Amino acid sequence: MFNKVLIANRGEIAVRIIRACRELGLHTVAVFSEADRQALHVRLSDEAYPIGPAPSKDSYLRMDKILDVAKKTKAGAIHPGYGFLAERSDFSQACEDEGITFIGPRASAIAAMGDKAVARATVQAAGVPVVPGTEGEGNLQDEELLRLAPQIGFPLLIKATAGGGGKGMREVRSLEEMPSLLSAARSEAQSAFGDGNVYLEKLLEAVRHIEFQIMADLEGNTVHLGERECSLQRRHQKLLEEAPSPFIDDDEEFRQTMGEVAVKAAKAVNYANAGTIEFLVDKDKNFYFLEMNTRLQVEHPITEEVTGFDIVTEQLRVARGRQLSVTQDQVKLKGWAIECRINAEDPYNNFLPSTGLISYLSVPTGPGVRVDTGVYAGFQISPYYDSLISKLVVRGESRAQAILRMRRALEEYRIVGVKTNIPFHQRLVEQARFLAGNFDTRFIEERFSLEKAEEGKEEHPEIAAIVATLVAHQQTERSAHIIARGKRDTSNWKWVSRWERMHR
Amino acid sequence: MSKKSENSAKIEQLKKMRAQSKEGGGTERVKAQHAQGRLTARERLDLLLDKGSFRELGAFVKHRTHAFGLEEQQILSDSVVTGWGTIDGKLVYVYSQDFTVFGGSLGEVHAEKIVKVMEMALKTGSPIIGLNDSGGARIQEGVVSLGGYADIFLRNTLASGVIPQISAIMGPCAGGAVYSPALTDFIFMVRNSSYMFVTGPEVVKSVTHEEVSFEALGGASIHSAQSGVCHVVADSEADTLFLIRKLLSYLPQNNLEDPPFRPTKDDPLRREEELDSLIPDEPNKPYDIKRLIQLIVDDGAFFEIHEQFAQNIVVGFARLGGHAVGVIANQPMVLAGVLDIDASEKAARFVRFCDSFNLPLLTLVDVPGFMPGTAQEHNGIIRAGAKLLYAYCEATVPKLTVVTRKAYGGAYDVMSSKHIRGDLNLAWPTAEIAVMGPDGAVNIIFRKELAKSKNPEKKRAELVAEYREQFANPYVAASRGYIDHVIRPRETRPRLINALEMLTNKRDSNPAKKHGNIPL
Repeated sequence: MFNKVLIANRGEIAVRIIRACRELGLHTVAVFSEADRQALHVRLSDEAYPIGPAPSKDSYLRMDKILDVAKKTKAGAIHPGYGFLAERSDFSQACEDEGITFIGPRASAIAAMGDKAVARATVQAAGVPVVPGTEGEGNLQDEELLRLAPQIGFPLLIKATAGGGGKGMREVRSLEEMPSLLSAARSEAQSAFGDGNVYLEKLLEAVRHIEFQIMADLEGNTVHLGERECSLQRRHQKLLEEAPSPFIDDDEEFRQTMGEVAVKAAKAVNYANAGTIEFLVDKDKNFYFLEMNTRLQVEHPITEEVTGFDIVTEQLRVARGRQLSVTQDQVKLKGWAIECRINAEDPYNNFLPSTGLISYLSVPTGPGVRVDTGVYAGFQISPYYDSLISKLVVRGESRAQAILRMRRALEEYRIVGVKTNIPFHQRLVEQARFLAGNFDTRFIEERFSLEKAEEGKEEHPEIAAIVATLVAHQQTERSAHIIARGKRDTSNWKWVSRWERMHR
Repeated sequence: MSKKSENSAKIEQLKKMRAQSKEGGGTERVKAQHAQGRLTARERLDLLLDKGSFRELGAFVKHRTHAFGLEEQQILSDSVVTGWGTIDGKLVYVYSQDFTVFGGSLGEVHAEKIVKVMEMALKTGSPIIGLNDSGGARIQEGVVSLGGYADIFLRNTLASGVIPQISAIMGPCAGGAVYSPALTDFIFMVRNSSYMFVTGPEVVKSVTHEEVSFEALGGASIHSAQSGVCHVVADSEADTLFLIRKLLSYLPQNNLEDPPFRPTKDDPLRREEELDSLIPDEPNKPYDIKRLIQLIVDDGAFFEIHEQFAQNIVVGFARLGGHAVGVIANQPMVLAGVLDIDASEKAARFVRFCDSFNLPLLTLVDVPGFMPGTAQEHNGIIRAGAKLLYAYCEATVPKLTVVTRKAYGGAYDVMSSKHIRGDLNLAWPTAEIAVMGPDGAVNIIFRKELAKSKNPEKKRAELVAEYREQFANPYVAASRGYIDHVIRPRETRPRLINALEMLTNKRDSNPAKKHGNIPL
């Protein structure tokens, strides 16, 4: 059993994991790139080792260097956090080969869930609903696709098997228009990828993105910790998450139905440790398996806040071979939690990443507020990694209380030196549709714009006038003097001249 | 009660006169000035000086001419605004010619006002800044205005090397008037709206039959790139004035003071790995010396002088560990960094300025020699090169030298070598300090052997390689003590800052003399 954990990550998540280790009395080893020499995770860990230049491909993605550090420091376990090496089955395997505990699922589970087609087939076999379509059924000819289309139902999408980026994709509304769209899609796919094969997928409209937190021990005991609502995204980047989902709210039966399916999906790959099953949910409460994230999730704190369950601590316990500390019926949701991802990016300029020195930082505190962060005043934000600088999490007895708390906390948050998306969040949590819980995954891109919201921007002419007056007053006072007040002029000019005259 | 009212009438009169004086040439003229995209004399001072710090001198001065009906036109303060103020809190004296009054023409009282601020600047040891915008001499005043110019020229010369003198050309500056800026330390010009010439296009046409526009004869581009008259050129008046403020941040108040120290957040121990690979493997391949400067100085900030003129040498101001220094560097990107007439004169004048005002010199050497050719020889490269040599020899400020690559022949001696009182001469391992490049040396030393050889090309290549191996390095010079130390390129910044601090209290002198005879 291990007593020392290497954290193969950076930023707020590395800090989060170090904190959990400390609480359990485990020693910590941090690794860092050249750009992160002064990062918070380096300061907080017991030991820290450089692993290469700033670009992550030369540092945080270098398995060999990280394993070297683990061996050198005799770390018994590696926690990968999220991103970087977290979902690399070869890394999990390499750890196992070196006799180091990988704090996460087995390599086989990562591999199974990492391949979209395999994951789909595996969970489907276990009775988990997937988005209807012909993916993974081989390369079908037009006749078969036309025969299967009505079974899937319209509208549907034709997608290129080899593809991505919208190339060879066509939206089909009826059977009549399908043959011509099929040939168009095939020829486009052929020219783009050199492979004209396509498959069909049901087009889901106005869907929500709801995910379930899974926790499993090595013996296969598996529970879900309720759901998280993650529909508020911009370009597939989650910005604000809440738990529970306002769509499920107090429909306990629906929650348990989905939760049981999620557990089934996890068990289908013999899952261990923390993971997340993502679903797409339509307005009629049909839900479809989207994918499984075989790692700790960025937004895990909101689940912790409503379940009172420390996921990272539990990850460490489970990895040490302990049984789950709860059974399914002990998991109870209490209250409401919201997380805003605070990113160093300019919401007024197309969310362009912002870098620079954080010259001043004041973090909100008070009842129900939690801030998971990896930065401090004086820290330099570099352009090499993702722009997340902190996660502002609030908890309230009700959704309304949580929202009021989030508004208050966002207002308290002061970050000077880099631009952040705090103004974006402030407008978002005022939107009527957000307050009503009535939104889907396209809400931010289609219905919300900061520019439009800016029209009603507050102005403070009195404050501006007072500041201008003070500055003008100060300048007048200063400009009346040539030598700063209270200072003696020590100019050589005068003294040398006096000296010369004395010696004439 | 009656007394109070009497006073208030006097105060009213004062207020009226002050307002009148501020009006300059009146609303129409001010409009005309603005229409040309130019600011008025007072607006320029507001931009140049710290807000609210300007104090005017001679606001009620009037001209004394009684000829050509000029006595009918009396404008308070005449055609120049003079006074003092602060820049970054430091005292400066200023004069700003007012084109809205008699076209900014210089007459008796105009000259007197300028002479007055110049003498005050000289008495108090403070910089003087002149903003020029004048049609020239006031013809109606005749020879009196010529006398006025000469009075100013004399003061410019007496103040030279005592207080920094800066001129900005904001409009026309023609005829004798050009010689006052020409005597000062730095000339700033505004692109497309200022010009300087001794004789205007009309006269040029009647004498030499050349047709030439104002801009092509003496515009900012000509003077900044070709004649070298202008040191700094900016796109707008506001930029020009801002750059003057910036330049002053590197300069002391007078020749008895040290240049201002500006604490920096840039780590004095900062080592730049990029420097280790900056010099290309191929000895004839260029690299940008400005990149090197940027990497070693505080915050990469470099205030370049004569940016477009004689680009084969780079000069300008920077800071090392907060201490202002003058940087002189050969530029391998232009003409391989060779010294020609223009480059020698450009650097010589800069070195002398720095020496006058206690700015340490940092010289970065990568020089293949002096420029060969009849054009150079016939135009006096001997005289020009001697100026640079003279300037370096007489300079007594701390002198730091870093040889990055080539230092060949006489140019090696000139570029702040140990022999001419270099205080600390460092070299990078890539340095080649020798009497000439390997090819030339082999051709001379082995002329006979090469002539006899059956395969002269092969023989030459062998000999060149051998010579390069033996002599194209810094260690021959270092073994003689001509180079104090060979350093790793990435160590350059920490080494230079340490050396600069080591030399803080350096004192050195030249024999007493009226003045030397620099080969002008």
